[in-house]
Amino acid sequence: MPLAESLYIQQLVELLAVVSSSPDEPTAVQHGVERSAQALEAEVAAVVFDGKVAASIGFPPDAVPHEDIVAVGARQRSDLDVPGLGRCPALSASWAGSRPGQLVLARWGDGFAIEERNLVRGMARVLELTLTMLRTLAAEHSIRESLEEQQRLLTHLFAIQRAISRRDELQRILDQVTAAASDLLGDEVGLLWLRDEADPGLTRPVSAAGTPIDLAEQLPVPLDGAGSGGAAISADQVVVRHGVAEPDPALGRLGLGPVYASLAAPVHDSGTVTGALLVASCDPNRAYSPADEQTLGAFADNVSLALTDANMVVRMQQAHLDPLTGLASRRLFMEQLTLRMAADQALLAVLFLDLDRFKEINDTLGHAAGDQLLTVAADRIAGQLRTGDTASRFGGDEFAVLLHQVDGLAEATVVASRIIAAMGKPVPVARRRLRVAVSIGIALGGVDPVEPEELVSRADLAMYEAKRAGTGGWAVYRPDMSPAAA
Amino acid sequence: MQETETAEPARRWMGVGRSVLADSRTAAVAAATVAQTGAETKLLIVFAAITHEPAAVLAGLAEAAPGVTVIGCTTHGEIGPGGPADGTITVAALGGPGLQVETSVATGAAGRQGDAGYEVADCVGRVDLPHKVLMLLTDGLVRDQESIVRGCYRALGAAVPLFGGAAADGWRMSGAYLFHNGQVLTDAVVGAAIASEAPLAVGVRHGYQTVGQPMMVTRTENGRVLSLDDRPALDVYLERLGAPPEVYTDAAAFTAFALPRPLGVQRRSGVEARNLSTEVDLEGRSIGGGGAIDPGGLTWVMTGDEQSILEATDAACRDALDRLDGREPIGMLTLSCAALRAALGDEGIQREGERLQKWAGSLPYAGFYTYGEIARNHGIDGFHNQTLVVLALS
Repeated sequence: MPLAESLYIQQLVELLAVVSSSPDEPTAVQHGVERSAQALEAEVAAVVFDGKVAASIGFPPDAVPHEDIVAVGARQRSDLDVPGLGRCPALSASWAGSRPGQLVLARWGDGFAIEERNLVRGMARVLELTLTMLRTLAAEHSIRESLEEQQRLLTHLFAIQRAISRRDELQRILDQVTAAASDLLGDEVGLLWLRDEADPGLTRPVSAAGTPIDLAEQLPVPLDGAGSGGAAISADQVVVRHGVAEPDPALGRLGLGPVYASLAAPVHDSGTVTGALLVASCDPNRAYSPADEQTLGAFADNVSLALTDANMVVRMQQAHLDPLTGLASRRLFMEQLTLRMAADQALLAVLFLDLDRFKEINDTLGHAAGDQLLTVAADRIAGQLRTGDTASRFGGDEFAVLLHQVDGLAEATVVASRIIAAMGKPVPVARRRLRVAVSIGIALGGVDPVEPEELVSRADLAMYEAKRAGTGGWAVYRPDMSPAAA
Repeated sequence: MQETETAEPARRWMGVGRSVLADSRTAAVAAATVAQTGAETKLLIVFAAITHEPAAVLAGLAEAAPGVTVIGCTTHGEIGPGGPADGTITVAALGGPGLQVETSVATGAAGRQGDAGYEVADCVGRVDLPHKVLMLLTDGLVRDQESIVRGCYRALGAAVPLFGGAAADGWRMSGAYLFHNGQVLTDAVVGAAIASEAPLAVGVRHGYQTVGQPMMVTRTENGRVLSLDDRPALDVYLERLGAPPEVYTDAAAFTAFALPRPLGVQRRSGVEARNLSTEVDLEGRSIGGGGAIDPGGLTWVMTGDEQSILEATDAACRDALDRLDGREPIGMLTLSCAALRAALGDEGIQREGERLQKWAGSLPYAGFYTYGEIARNHGIDGFHNQTLVVLALS
């Protein structure tokens, strides 16, 4: 079975969760190695730093073929000899940054598919991000002399990392980081700028600590009008400003001031710079030390981690679920149908549903009303299914339902009738009570050898037959229904 | 008492004996005597009902086979010729000049599961015949069994297949026992490196299918699933299955309901079943069990019926026997999940026994119902729930 896109986004989320909760870099590298091997069901995984194997799994510790693994990392060879298995296809993905490295994997059997190569590249990015964060933390630890300060930093960072791995709400995590940064650095202002999703040339503050500004009222501003934060985003590096002569204009506009010093560090989502974390002070004598830069860098890394994690989860949900109705996406539905048809010979049924008069409602009452109608329809359809059945939105006003393990046509028509009855009740939309009927086509699977796509097409053909016979009815697929007739 | 002759008694042989006698020592002597069907016995593997007296079992084995290496454990039912049984002592014996056996033990496994696994893998270095497998018996009441298997993999790498199961105590959940030579152990891992002149092959299958929409694991803590799709895990899981009301509030009813309905975790090669029936928290509305589930993972509820489970029985036996490179098998070890007993019922497990008997034919076979199965051929993981694992020897 090919690795579905949805699965490898999940694998990245899991890798991030496991690696980012590691206490130090060596542990994180070992966890990263094992989790990568697990995700790809590979026998061998290794991480290479500076031409040396830093961690590996798949060989007894006294028999690790260091040179061969390093050669795969450097792309000088594309297989590894694994005792007991023989020659296994191998691949690697590398990362740059302050400590460049390579992730190496080898697996018995056929080579890696293209999407698996992409997954391994994604894993390398996750490793780079988390290892950078842990290293910043370690450097910070050695620079800070005061034990009390070290303790406070660790407490803050630990709380933030736990919040990320627990998947707390993103805004709460961002607020927590912003507040922790301004608290620990002893500055009055903490601010997080993020780039505008529609126009990356613009940015706006999304989290603030120690300031009275109303975030909801802030409009996006161009990067060059966003002071130190904007500069850190543009340059993708830490920006420091000191002294009265150079107050941050953006902070002045936000009603903060006078601000005499500011420090900003870039934040990233999946490797792309997407914003900046900033602290600022109203103290004319405030100056930032290298240790302060390290500290802010550690918090900025945490913002990057939270953003990357949250967006992976969003991408994964989008791959699976229809964002409007919460039903399964077309892709997930087809995946499930394919698995189910391959798994057993039991009879199953596909229902193809189309709302009658939907276009008319959408055109006269507007898209918002149309969306509301689709949501209600989705709830009513899902409410009529048996445990284990799957409902999906196929697109527009089309839905598909998979009924698993039906006794025969009778059971499928019972469910279809239930859906028709449920949809027959008025729907309150845009201060009106609309009646929207549904036409349903039914096709049985498990009767003759048929591909999943063909089964859905049959149900679709039957749906047109039902529509022709009048609204609010069902029809069962017959071989004499041809696409031409539809 | 049943007796089975081995197919190839010359250089390598396996034999199985079973006793239903109530006296533990007498039963052990009887089973071990029958199991030894050839010369040069190298290993006795004993599966004993929890009702037996462990020390007396070991005394009986030592009497019937003085000086022979012994491994074994208590069960949730013993598997062997004549079908599944409760209350018996079932013994498999391996021997002949074409086989080698070395064993290791790690104690105090809880809290250092990975290290314990790494330690027991040590015995593999002491055998040198070309075909090897590491058989593991673990304490089923120790959590995070995956880490034990992972520890073995760290030590051995990809070259050595892993096979075994977690000792059970007949659902008492108060204490299972492991056996190693004269010792009765808990909180331990027993490893036996079995090496042979001829191929050894491991098979593993489960008979469950995913149903309905997937759920995302949104919060976990200490191996427990706290929330699915951002709602209390217990409620989401039960709603998906249309569970009756008492299951939401009664721990025993929950366990009975959840045993045949594992949670499926998506992996590259398919969906893996995870048993979440044993560690329910009705107040915190969370679920947990023998195997860890990570946050961010995609899960499904799974169901299986007798037909799908027995098809998996067939497939696991076929996989293992097919991979003997055409050599004549001498016997099979067959470990099945205790939770499958709940799914199959008393009559269903008899039919499972018939399937095993069909594949074994005249060959000896033995095993037990476990609190978790171990089988690793490829990849780095090998701890399973709700499966049948088979070791075929040739």
